[in-house]
Amino acid sequence: MAKRSVTVAAVDVEALEREAQGAVAAASTRAALDDARVRYLGRKSELKQALRGVRDRESGMALNAVRERLEAAFDARDAELERAALTRLDESLDVTLPGTPLRRGRLHPLTRIIRQIEDIFLGLGYEIVDSREVETVWHNFDALNQPLTHPSRSHRDTFYIDDQTLLRAHTSTGQIRVMESRKPPIYIASLGRVYRRDTPSPRSTPNFHQVEALAVDRHITLADLKGTLLHFFHEMFGGDRDVRMRTSFFPFTEPSVEFDVTCFLCGGEGCVFCKHTGWFEMGGAGVVDPAVFENVGIDPNEWTGFAWGLGIDRIAAQRHAIPDIRMFWENDLRVLRQF
Amino acid sequence: MRVPMSWLREYVEVPVTTAELAQRLVISSCEVDGIERRGVADVDGNLGLFRVGRVLDAAKHPNADRLQLCHVDVGEGDARQIVCGAWNFGAGATVAVALPGAVLPNGLQLDRRKVRGETSDGIILAEDEVDLGTDHTGIMVLENGIEPGTPLADVLPLTDEILELETEHNRPDLLAVYGIAREVAALYDVELAPPPGSDPPSDGDERVDVRVDDLDGCPRYVGRLFRDVAIGVSPLWLKARLLGAGMRPISNVVDVTNYVMLALGNPLHAFDFATLAGGAVVVRRAHEGERLRTLDGVDRALEPYDLMIADAERSVALAGIMGGEETEIGESTTAVLLEAANFEPYTVFRTSERLRLRTEGSTRWEKGVDPHVAEQAAKLATELIVQLAGASWTGATDVQGQLPERPLVRFRHERASGVAGFQIGAGEQDERLRRLGFELDGETVAVPTWRARDVTREIDVVEEVVRFRLDDVPPRLPERREMFGRLSKLQRVRRTIQDTLVGFGYFEAYTWSLLPEDAEPQAVRLEEPLSSEQAVLRTSLLDGLVASALRNVDAGNEDVALFELAHVYLPTGAQLPDEHWHAGGIVQGGFLSAKGAVEGLYEALSLRVAFEPAEDLPHGARGARTPEGWVLALREPQLGGEWGAFELDVDALAVRAPDVVVYEDVITYPPVRQDLAFVVDESVAAGDLVAAAADAAGDELREMRAFDVYRGEQIGAGRKSIAFAVTFQSREKTLTDEEAAELRHRIVERLREAFGAELRA
Repeated sequence: MAKRSVTVAAVDVEALEREAQGAVAAASTRAALDDARVRYLGRKSELKQALRGVRDRESGMALNAVRERLEAAFDARDAELERAALTRLDESLDVTLPGTPLRRGRLHPLTRIIRQIEDIFLGLGYEIVDSREVETVWHNFDALNQPLTHPSRSHRDTFYIDDQTLLRAHTSTGQIRVMESRKPPIYIASLGRVYRRDTPSPRSTPNFHQVEALAVDRHITLADLKGTLLHFFHEMFGGDRDVRMRTSFFPFTEPSVEFDVTCFLCGGEGCVFCKHTGWFEMGGAGVVDPAVFENVGIDPNEWTGFAWGLGIDRIAAQRHAIPDIRMFWENDLRVLRQF
Repeated sequence: MRVPMSWLREYVEVPVTTAELAQRLVISSCEVDGIERRGVADVDGNLGLFRVGRVLDAAKHPNADRLQLCHVDVGEGDARQIVCGAWNFGAGATVAVALPGAVLPNGLQLDRRKVRGETSDGIILAEDEVDLGTDHTGIMVLENGIEPGTPLADVLPLTDEILELETEHNRPDLLAVYGIAREVAALYDVELAPPPGSDPPSDGDERVDVRVDDLDGCPRYVGRLFRDVAIGVSPLWLKARLLGAGMRPISNVVDVTNYVMLALGNPLHAFDFATLAGGAVVVRRAHEGERLRTLDGVDRALEPYDLMIADAERSVALAGIMGGEETEIGESTTAVLLEAANFEPYTVFRTSERLRLRTEGSTRWEKGVDPHVAEQAAKLATELIVQLAGASWTGATDVQGQLPERPLVRFRHERASGVAGFQIGAGEQDERLRRLGFELDGETVAVPTWRARDVTREIDVVEEVVRFRLDDVPPRLPERREMFGRLSKLQRVRRTIQDTLVGFGYFEAYTWSLLPEDAEPQAVRLEEPLSSEQAVLRTSLLDGLVASALRNVDAGNEDVALFELAHVYLPTGAQLPDEHWHAGGIVQGGFLSAKGAVEGLYEALSLRVAFEPAEDLPHGARGARTPEGWVLALREPQLGGEWGAFELDVDALAVRAPDVVVYEDVITYPPVRQDLAFVVDESVAAGDLVAAAADAAGDELREMRAFDVYRGEQIGAGRKSIAFAVTFQSREKTLTDEEAAELRHRIVERLREAFGAELRA
């Protein structure tokens, strides 16, 4: 069928709409668009005049439909031109200039590693236990089955307040406090400051931090200890680490072991850092000694457990290649800012 | 403990290399610090250049009075001409020769060279040149009858490896070469030689007068008397072993006591018998006011708990720790009283701890030496003293208290597997225990005497089995039925505080718990501080933060803002102080900067806070208190400029912090905001105006926050204008303009009445 023009109320509406849409598209400024809007939709426009002259409902609907479409087209084009105008304002922007500086502090590197350790334990379903630092000799030594002749009891190694009171020499005190106050099963990690009479040096400080883990449940074995250590160090240092246990002696565990992790530097090949052993010494562990359970009123025939602990500062220093452990206590912004 | 491998091999066959042995010992027995190679290096045929030689002739060097020119047969047909500086030999002597090309232990390589015009085709060796002794006054003269040309290493311990071991406190038995040999036997399931030493025939039956007054401190005293003792130097093999083990040879009798200690782990002492008053030995505690001059020349004051070896008149030795100077073995000694005793650990520990005197002996006694070893030690020492010092053994005694029995322990194989977490065969377990000296009878195990202190329970026996299999423990995780992990509220609050302050631009600091001094006079003090810098446990974090701030200022760092979250130690009068977590901060930029951080912290914890001006703050500073702490304007001359500081009790904050924030409707009924400025006297505080306004306007005054303080001519001297951003809002309705005006009116009226405040247009 041949296309024919539609004439409504003596106006060729199709031609009119085509012309107006063309003007909308052609308008390159908002002023030109406004002019076109007046021309095609203004009071004196052909469309408005035709609308005024409409007598039948059908013509009115057709003309109004055209008007609505044109108004929408004008609005859309107007928004488009406005956005283009704003974008042009940004042309002077130098995107290579530095951003506005915002003040941001930093967590101390020790806190970062402490939180990482806490989070690994939380993931394993352990509670994190805070414990006091000024302790009784009972909690620090006696309850842990430490013999009277053990050198760590010496005033050369431990800070004493008086004969019965001291600054805790290890976080194992946390074990005792927890076991005294509740019944198994117990899965806890105790983190915090400990104290030893070491003159400050690049490798040691008289305050430092330890983490101690304790699991007390039915049928805990060395295999559970090893699996827990392995999981911990995979989380801490990556999945390619291996863990080994060596026999050792701690009065509060039997059997006692020390544990090593594959050397960070050589990955186990042997290097100067690990004294050519391929292993890096991490900490001490063992199966909780029945005497310790008896000291805190837990039945060793019913419950078994493992405990292990390690020094945090040393690991943090290694991880960040910090040459002198005392830098952790100097709080120099030039250092702290790097973390 | 340094263990020469040549010595170890005397007691047990080592079926692996020293390095492999070290790797296994590390797992099962003790730490290995290293393997030291001693003596002549056994590389590139070097050892072959050290030979036995026979001196064919020796005469004065034609051009040097102090030198000899010798011809030495080293088994090559032609003799070698050698120049030598020693004169303790002559023609016919059997000597040790190093040929040109040989590398000595000190790294020196010999060559053929001319000495004062005469060729020297090698050297005749002195003992110190091959690490066999310390003497350099003459060359080594070997016993006759050894064929010239014999490799020297066949005759002398020219080369050796030393295992450097670090043993644990519970294993005094490992402070002995024989004890290490026992571990090797158990590790590799090989035979252990019987313990060294057997009594030679006795040369008399003299009474040995030993009286032990304190059998608790000294459960056993084996005394043996020797006459006709010829004090002299020890033979090369003995010197070599002592040097290898890290001890200096002194004289034959003293060397024997050290040798036996190293071999069997029982420290010995030898007295010059002639110096013992009454020829008697009395083991007793020290008398009040008694003193002793020990071998090291120190005159020591004694305490009544010190265990002494005395003669009929006075103390002559600190039992187990060190002998006295007056009874020391010397060149003129001809009669020796040998002490092979046993001392109780704590007695020795206590005295050596007080005197700060640790010796090879005391470190063994304080770990608990087996009293049964004393007899074997006496046998080995007797055998050697008779052999090496030509002595007659003329008397013996053995005073004993109640010696401990061998503990009998119930032991089940399945318990070992149960602790290990994997199956260890019963046969393997039994074999291991037998090699270690345990005797098995069904489920009953008799513990060897040298482990009696340490192995008293089933779990201790389990360790003896399991420690050899630590490499084989499979990794598993505990099977869990109860318990789950979470942070406590206090721990969550601590993390919030840290994160909030980091967000505010603060850097976290760690400072020492101990200070040189604390503002609190009752603060907990160390009995014996490491230094005066670290003597008192802090009651506040401020001083540590000031010191850190100062360090940053000195380093030229700008915009310093530090915080710390740590314990403080508040004295209670009881044994233990109260330990609270505190959060402290220090910031460059003055009071309001610090106060902003404190306000922000309270906000982060969803806590409302009121600040009360306070006069009793640290450093006498101006500032304000909150219920949980303070914030102050810090004026430290060394810091320079304006600083602010704050400190809050985190435990208290955590108690007050809400667990849950409850929604408050601030949307349904919109707020009305106005700015109001009041002119008041300088003495009026903004906070007082806000408090009075709140009282006047009631609940519908939602917020009134000072945002500007202005002083100037229009205001007048001694007056200031404070501008407030005021928000009115009702919970029940939209406030009308009239209602807002009424609230504002009430505020204006109240502030005028109370403070003479004028509303600025």
